[in-house]
Amino acid sequence: MGKVKSLIKIKPKKFKNGEIVKVSFMVMHPMETGMRKDKKTKKIVPADYVKSLKFDYNGKTITTMNVWESVSTNPVFTTYMKVDGKGKLTVTFTDSKGNVNEKSKKIKPKG
Amino acid sequence: MQRREFFKKLGVVAAASSIVVPTMGFAEDKPKSPNEMSYKTALDAITDGKTPIKSDKLKLKAPEIAENGAVVPVTITVDSPMTDSDYVKSIHILSTKNANSRCADIHLTPANGKAMLATRIKLGGTQDVVAVAKLSNGEIYIASQSVKVTIGGCG
Repeated sequence: MGKVKSLIKIKPKKFKNGEIVKVSFMVMHPMETGMRKDKKTKKIVPADYVKSLKFDYNGKTITTMNVWESVSTNPVFTTYMKVDGKGKLTVTFTDSKGNVNEKSKKIKPKG
Repeated sequence: MQRREFFKKLGVVAAASSIVVPTMGFAEDKPKSPNEMSYKTALDAITDGKTPIKSDKLKLKAPEIAENGAVVPVTITVDSPMTDSDYVKSIHILSTKNANSRCADIHLTPANGKAMLATRIKLGGTQDVVAVAKLSNGEIYIASQSVKVTIGGCG
């Protein structure tokens, strides 16, 4: 499998230092439960899901997540974050097959 | 081939197929979840012997009727100042009847500013969605809501 598509969205788009913003993280992932049967091949599709997520902001881990297969396909995880100066938000995610991917976004507070 | 031998072999094959085939068919029909865990075991692992309290501070938002069990939006908010001395440590989403009861855990820090988790989960059928929040002072909050699923999403 190649690179997994992912996206970090911050709301509102323009924010000030010290403001609390909404952070949404989206991944294009099949999230197979390991219980579904392929209709054509009649074989069970092996489990493949996002296992853990880590949000790093300016070198500090602010949030970690454990995820299991009962989260929907192409999951979206939304939480809040306090803006604390210019920097970079990096989300590292590991899936059950052991693939590690990461996505980052620059944080530029105005004023 | 002798007629006697032929019947012997035929008997063996028939016996073998009658035993093997039904069990295989059954195993294929009901595949097991890789990390199966019942709701009670999952809740006990989170609460660690403490009694969770029902509180107004913990709000769970989920639809009462979900048309499609594969996508059930769930939003959990905890009313907390999120300071170094008083913050929400973690929020857990559980489902009562899924093969693996655990859906997602989030571990928060005061740097989050607000304690909230929103995601979409899969539900295998009509059941309760349970939210558990662990606070830094050791308190555990719990909230649940029943969701009616018309089309299942798991398996």
